[in-house]
Amino acid sequence: MRNALREPLLQFLLLGLALFLLFEWRGGGTGSSRIVVTSGQIEQFASGFARTWQRSPTQAELKGLVDEHVKEEIATREAIATGLDRDDTIIRRRLRQKLEFLAEDAADQSPPTDAEVQGWLEAHPDAFRTESQVAFRQVLVSRERRGTGAPAEAARLLTRLRAAGPGADAAHLGDPTMLPAEMQLVPVREVRLTFGDGFAHAIEAFAPGQWSGPVNSAYGLHLVLVTERVAAGRPDLSAIRSEVEREVVTERRRKELDALYRRLISRYSVTIEMPASSGTAPVSGGGGSR
Amino acid sequence: MRRVHIFGRAMAVILGATLSLPAMAQDAGSHEGTIREKDFPKKPYSPYAGRSYPTRPLFGDTHLHTAFSFDAGAFGARLGPREAYRFARGEEVTSNSGQPAKLSRPLDFLVVADHSDNMGFFPDLLAGKPELLADPTGRRWYEMIRNGEGAKAALEIISSFSQGTFPKDLMYYPGTRAYRGAWKETIAAAEQYNDPGRFTAFIGYEWTSNTGGNNLHRNVIFRDSGAKASQVEPYTVYPPYGSDNPVDLWKWMDAYEKKTGGNVLAIAHNGNLSNGRMFPIVEAFGRKIDREYVETRARWERLYETTQTKGTGESHPYLSPNDEFADFEIWDFGNLDASVAKTKVMLEYEYARAALKNGLKLEQKFGTNPYKFGMVGSSDAHTGLAAMEEDNFFGKTAPQEPSPERLVATFMENPKTGVKLMDWEVGASGYAAVWATENTREALWDAMQRRETYATTGTRMAVRFFGGWDFQPKDAFERMPASVGYTKGVPMGGDLKKAPAGKAPTFLVAALKDPIGANLDRIQIIKGWLDAKGEVHEQVHDVAWSDGRKADPKTGKVPSVGSTVVVEDATWTNTIGSPELISVWKDPAFDPAQRAFYYARVIEIPTPRWTAYDAKRFGVKPLPNTRMTVTERAYTSPIWYTP
Repeated sequence: MRNALREPLLQFLLLGLALFLLFEWRGGGTGSSRIVVTSGQIEQFASGFARTWQRSPTQAELKGLVDEHVKEEIATREAIATGLDRDDTIIRRRLRQKLEFLAEDAADQSPPTDAEVQGWLEAHPDAFRTESQVAFRQVLVSRERRGTGAPAEAARLLTRLRAAGPGADAAHLGDPTMLPAEMQLVPVREVRLTFGDGFAHAIEAFAPGQWSGPVNSAYGLHLVLVTERVAAGRPDLSAIRSEVEREVVTERRRKELDALYRRLISRYSVTIEMPASSGTAPVSGGGGSR
Repeated sequence: MRRVHIFGRAMAVILGATLSLPAMAQDAGSHEGTIREKDFPKKPYSPYAGRSYPTRPLFGDTHLHTAFSFDAGAFGARLGPREAYRFARGEEVTSNSGQPAKLSRPLDFLVVADHSDNMGFFPDLLAGKPELLADPTGRRWYEMIRNGEGAKAALEIISSFSQGTFPKDLMYYPGTRAYRGAWKETIAAAEQYNDPGRFTAFIGYEWTSNTGGNNLHRNVIFRDSGAKASQVEPYTVYPPYGSDNPVDLWKWMDAYEKKTGGNVLAIAHNGNLSNGRMFPIVEAFGRKIDREYVETRARWERLYETTQTKGTGESHPYLSPNDEFADFEIWDFGNLDASVAKTKVMLEYEYARAALKNGLKLEQKFGTNPYKFGMVGSSDAHTGLAAMEEDNFFGKTAPQEPSPERLVATFMENPKTGVKLMDWEVGASGYAAVWATENTREALWDAMQRRETYATTGTRMAVRFFGGWDFQPKDAFERMPASVGYTKGVPMGGDLKKAPAGKAPTFLVAALKDPIGANLDRIQIIKGWLDAKGEVHEQVHDVAWSDGRKADPKTGKVPSVGSTVVVEDATWTNTIGSPELISVWKDPAFDPAQRAFYYARVIEIPTPRWTAYDAKRFGVKPLPNTRMTVTERAYTSPIWYTP
């Protein structure tokens, strides 16, 4: 008997039996017919309930929670045993997601360093570039009203405006129009939408603080006083630090995932059988060769 | 009526003449100082201080479908909500047919409004989802699409849907997983692209009541973010979860607001395809129109989509025989699937102007006007592309994206009714213009709710329209018309205050051409009213026009502006028309005892229609009778007078 107990095969079988009994008793493992709801789990149900309802569950409510859990456990085991999980896209995607979350989590472990942030910005100089802005006043000389006299009238007004300088009261000069007489600091896009591309482009060259023009638009000739201009540019790093960090982490995640699939795919042999009738080129990048 | 004509003409002539004289303009300029002192409340020195009114109209589309709409997908749409928002905000995308597509300039806002019934059905069908292929009809559609017969499948799907034969097993009902997923995706796309101050991405959907092929569709637009919108799922038409009766949609809207504290509004469209059911005055769905109906409709439906790809619905030549501009991009063959042909008696209950008139009648009877709606235009494109420019038109459905075929192809044919509709009849229209104080969901939605909007057929002209009792001809020379307008009157969509004794309503109306578009031909004010005998009337007045034309002394009508379009070259010049028109008009036939409404219509000089650009670019000969020019226009929301 002692000799028999020394037999490795028997030891192995006994150990297996013990493990089996342990698992049966714990209620673990799919396909098992044993379900155990531990006191720890029940405490968890109760505290979850309390978080939602701001009070402890009654005895009946707690029983309801436990019953629900048991049903869910049974349903899950039965469904998995029947293979219902295998053709379910949602479950497959969820599993994939969980796996990818694990990899992505690694990317979030440490906040991006200054060097990383700086490096990212240098690699993507236009990502956070602000649009240039302009503020101006304008006086319209209508071609429709003035006809061929419009340029002369514009020249006359420009002389008057220049003499009066940036503080000129232009409210009563020029022809009436629905166009705004003044635009406070706005992105150049807004100028394009209201006055047209040509006008917006032309006033870019004007020195601030001086009446200039005339500029042509679809509406007539404009005399323009640019009062302020904010060039397009990269805002202070301090102002966009959190956005850049978001981008750095996003990039890290992408890299982690890439690395994950690179590692895993080496364990598989992938064969893609394109239908003969399909005219599209076979998907490249399959891992079969790795 | 005669009196109306004469007085109207006299007034119009005076104002028109005034505006074409440069000398007068200068004089008015020098008088302004004194005018201001006398007429306006005391203001701060800076004319911009305290200014809280909107300064630029925001342009957008309240009605765009993507591949999430079952019919759009079947037609071959592959672009989803995300691509739709990216395109609308000015980015270049690859169209459904693989062509690069980009707008001339960004839009300010967009509502992706996919059909609520079967939302998300199509992407699944396209992916060959096993459950859908298990159904014989589903499999047949799938095969059709795979064999390149997507458009045929689409029409079959639409038809089976409107005729109630859509396979029950294929329905994507609210509450199901696939349905919820599509709605979540729709919300997520809007949340991602909503960029307050720069571009507004609204959450919305289309409720597609289409029983018997009669179009009673409504677009539902949320003021709220996803936090509220995701608490509900869109209301559908198919039983048991939905209903085809608008009354039930209004109940759903009410329930949404009560549940979430949010806000929604609904915009109906295509009365022209409802076969007399869009604007009922006697009964609807077997129930008499009553007080409750008119009050509920007035509460939820404050805008009407007056123009879009499937025709313009302001008025019809049969309803407005004296209106030379009423015959514009009309679709009057029948209902949506052409299963029942149109009869003349239906028209009165389909077009906006007739509804505005009948609304006055119903208001007299029930105390509330159910048809007190403002105007917007939108695309109803099923491509994910809100591209409604004549020279950059990406069609209504994916097969109608630019190609040599669309000039000669058939859009729809119903052998039973003999109705055949060609692709060329689809219009490159339209957009919604909103006078919002800022570009946010809240400000835009609020402006829609107060009807401070106008419809355009795709142009981006700026139109101001104010009504009050004290506008003077000299107000037309003000440097900031909006400032005078808001001070002395109410903007488009508003109500005139009680009539002061002996006064008639006056209107300040101004239009500025699209900065890259065509000059303006004329501004008209259209009045509708209810007389003492309970009869409704309408009158179109020319109030401002270009080129110093003289109005006909008998009719008061201004002759045609002419045309510079060279169809073969698809070109035109701005050598006729005005870049800007403005006028003050006084109602010459006002009766303070009679209900009335007034709205402005601004008409551009003729320009090449999209068909002309196609003929030129593809070198294709158009079919006989194809319309090759268009007079783009804007319709403002009315201003109402109630005794």
